[in-house]
Amino acid sequence: MGALFGKSKKQQSRVTEHDKAVLQLKQQRDEIKQYQKRIEKNLEKDKQLACKLLQAGKKERAKLLLRKKRFQEQILQRTDIQLENLEFLVHDLEFCQIEMQVINGLKVGNEALKKIHEVLNVEEVEKILDETREGVEKQQEIDDLLAGALTPEDEEAVEEELEQIIQAEMPDVPQEEPTQQDCFIETLLIQDI
Amino acid sequence: MAEVEWPWQYSFPPFFTIQVHNETRTKQIAAWRSLILDYHKITKHCILDTREAQRTALFNNTAIDRKLPLEGIVTILEDLARTGNAQPLDKQKHRWQIYWHTLEEWADLVYSWVQRCGMMNTVCTLYEITDGDNSADEEFHGLDTEIMVKILQTLEVSKKAELFDDNQGVKFF
Repeated sequence: MGALFGKSKKQQSRVTEHDKAVLQLKQQRDEIKQYQKRIEKNLEKDKQLACKLLQAGKKERAKLLLRKKRFQEQILQRTDIQLENLEFLVHDLEFCQIEMQVINGLKVGNEALKKIHEVLNVEEVEKILDETREGVEKQQEIDDLLAGALTPEDEEAVEEELEQIIQAEMPDVPQEEPTQQDCFIETLLIQDI
Repeated sequence: MAEVEWPWQYSFPPFFTIQVHNETRTKQIAAWRSLILDYHKITKHCILDTREAQRTALFNNTAIDRKLPLEGIVTILEDLARTGNAQPLDKQKHRWQIYWHTLEEWADLVYSWVQRCGMMNTVCTLYEITDGDNSADEEFHGLDTEIMVKILQTLEVSKKAELFDDNQGVKFF
């Protein structure tokens, strides 16, 4: 599929042999459709003619016409089956092409993945992780050193200030007794926990 | 087939004589241009033969017994050709193709239809485009095949389509 027979025009044609095959099938389909249209027209005409003949009292000829009409109707049915076959084939072909595209897409994706894996081998990752860990430890050491620069008194003062801020931010203790509803909610909360 | 709505000028006898005064003439030609394009759009005829044109209702108003002379028809057609709305088919300029959409506009219409139907990257027959069930509601349904070929060639230039097998089929990209 998709083989170009070295047809080198000014620019590479994007039409493949596959496309040409599909086109031929579709043309066939169009021909059948046109044929059906023609027969349908004929049927309509025959019907009207038969009516006219009947009115004119030519029963035998009307019968003959109806026979012809019946025959054409059968042909119409047969062409319907052919049309269906053609449509199926066209759909199959088109679907095959889509499948090909999907496979090609998967192939490209797979190769890209492989390339990335080549770059990312396990040893490299381990090395990087080790280095990261070392870095983190070093940072920790530096942090400790810096934090240690404060004297215990300073730490105490910090704690105190924090305590003060918390005190200031805290809401006042409610004066009145908790109502029954509050108690109920409390029990609910306890149950929930 | 829908009835053509004739503009008021159509019942105005001087409309059928190409005017000498420049400004009047420009207006007159503009009116004729839109009349011709509307007429062809409604009747869905794409070919105009100047040798027979005077017999059609478009250039011959029997009610007021006036018809546009041949030179007048050619003048207007040449004006239409200038803007890409008409194209002579032979050297003698007898037969003309009328495009009530320019080829570029047509190309856009066809291409957006293709996109809507999800027919990108598929093969289509020309019959399918102009007479298929899929395009029944489109303006280009029933359009002359020759014009369709030209439209698709326009798309080919912008690499959106490629015609093949003696212009029997087309693939959209």
